[in-house]
Amino acid sequence: MKLAYYPGCVAQESGKELDLATRWVCRALGIELVPFPAFSCCGSGFVDEANEVLNIGINARNLAIAEKAGLDLLTICSTCTGMLNLANVRMTDPQVRARVDAALKPLGIEYRGTVKVKHLLQVLTQDVGLEAIRAKVRRPLAGLQVGAFYGCHLLRPADEMRSESGEEPQSFEELLKVLGATPVYYRGRVMCCGFPIQFVKGPTASRLAGRQIQDAKSHGADAMATPCPLCHISLDAYQNRAEKEVGQRLDLPVFHLPQVVGLALGATPAELGLKRHLVPTDSALAKIRAPSPA
Amino acid sequence: MSAPPPTVKVPFSIYRYEPGRDRSPRYQEYTLDLAPHTPLLTALLRIRAEIDPTLSIRYSCRSAICGSCAMQVNSKSRLACETPVGPELEKHGRIVVEPMRNQPVVRDLVVDQSPFWTQYTKVEPHLKLDPRRPMPEGAPNPMTPAEVERFYETPRCIACAACFSACPAVEVDPEFPGPMALAKLYRYTVDPRDQAHQERLLRIQPGGLWLCLRCHLCTESCPKDVRPSERIRDLKEMAIAVQGATEQGSRHAFYFKENLKDGGLLNEMKLARQTYGLFGLVKELPQGVRIMRKKPEMRKKPHPIEGADEVRKIYDALDAKEAPK
Repeated sequence: MKLAYYPGCVAQESGKELDLATRWVCRALGIELVPFPAFSCCGSGFVDEANEVLNIGINARNLAIAEKAGLDLLTICSTCTGMLNLANVRMTDPQVRARVDAALKPLGIEYRGTVKVKHLLQVLTQDVGLEAIRAKVRRPLAGLQVGAFYGCHLLRPADEMRSESGEEPQSFEELLKVLGATPVYYRGRVMCCGFPIQFVKGPTASRLAGRQIQDAKSHGADAMATPCPLCHISLDAYQNRAEKEVGQRLDLPVFHLPQVVGLALGATPAELGLKRHLVPTDSALAKIRAPSPA
Repeated sequence: MSAPPPTVKVPFSIYRYEPGRDRSPRYQEYTLDLAPHTPLLTALLRIRAEIDPTLSIRYSCRSAICGSCAMQVNSKSRLACETPVGPELEKHGRIVVEPMRNQPVVRDLVVDQSPFWTQYTKVEPHLKLDPRRPMPEGAPNPMTPAEVERFYETPRCIACAACFSACPAVEVDPEFPGPMALAKLYRYTVDPRDQAHQERLLRIQPGGLWLCLRCHLCTESCPKDVRPSERIRDLKEMAIAVQGATEQGSRHAFYFKENLKDGGLLNEMKLARQTYGLFGLVKELPQGVRIMRKKPEMRKKPHPIEGADEVRKIYDALDAKEAPK
């Protein structure tokens, strides 16, 4: 399988460990990632708030790059997935399309609308397939209870995202089971992490993150796992603030999606960049055994 | 005569609580034999009629028109009258029914909707006319189809408060008006007959708009497809145009947009400086240092992407507006 790799800004900067883990997992599963140094930021939802058509324009350019190479796009961020998909959806509106085409044409860029935007979670569960992953598990995450945390833009609006469900997704939990972990079901798993307002009203954002972490924890989670690096910032890097807001020590490790997959496939914590987390992952790692030989 | 549809056993777990009388809420279990297509409201009314007359429910039309029977069904905001029991049973093995969130419980599944209506009233959800420009007596005030098209979704709202119940911003910050009030604000802000557009946009308070998380839970739970989250997005773009980038939320959106213009990738440090300002940045410094110790790349300016000039030209074509201040 060969995909255009769209890491997004965070995985190239503060969330470098997500990029590391994604590359490790894709190598292990035989997914070829084709980098494109011409990809720009997706706008992260903020550009969409400031100027909707511009947001579609810059993402149509990103999609056109993949289209020209004849590849579908792999994303590793819920918000990138949402914004790139949104461009695909909005470009079906003739008026929007005319404006965007008029901006791209003088640059010699054309986007015909054929690129599928696939998040790593979808590639793993739908394209690679759960059975193929099960066959490669060398360190079952048995004994580890994991609360999946999806990230809004991977799921909603469900009709535009064509997601599995806007409110009751299952794929991440099904994947966790295949990895040997026990998924924890809690209301917060489809809720918001607070990231979009971290810079607007930090305490409110952290209160929201705190509630979701509390929710996961009270349902027995030893760790959370998220397919979105923005959620990861809220849940991990800002967990100290979340603790302050909810008045409770939380201390819950938060994995990126490819990190939990990587652990089960036998990667070392160093190969997955676990030392870069703000909340140490040791308590979760202590629950799983060493990998069996390949 | 055709046979009655086959029934299945449906277990219900229903929230019961009367503040002032009960010490704490409890969940009561009931089981009914029901055809899978049976609406939840019908099931609840059967429980009340056949098993437990003390169960309190708010409902009226039974046809998804009056907006009275919104509640939490297996943690989702739904109208009970249009939620069949079958699919819920299939997904969850039982049906947990709770009152709407973000509004105080009066009894069982009935809530006091005042927080919802208070926010609604605040946006002045009616046409405002300029007394200096009265409409000619008896004359019609027609709109073109294109004008109506801009807000054709929002008048469908039946004020059921399902979105208010689903909204995480309302949950953590009572200052936030909620999805429905903002969708209504949008509706009057783009209505060509309203003469208070600018004033409406100027009067949106800092907590009013930019606390929306764009989580789209409102859009997901709306029984009438009003799509409040998308209309809130529209309001944000309009508010920047009218107010300028004058508060933390609009500044962040505006400078995020500006940030990509040079180089194509996000410069995290530069954005933090612009959003917070110097004073705010100093306040954020300890947290920043704490994070940067683990993630040193944050300090670096990202390399410009290949074809960064293309991005700039797309900005020139689609974002020609002057920077608001």
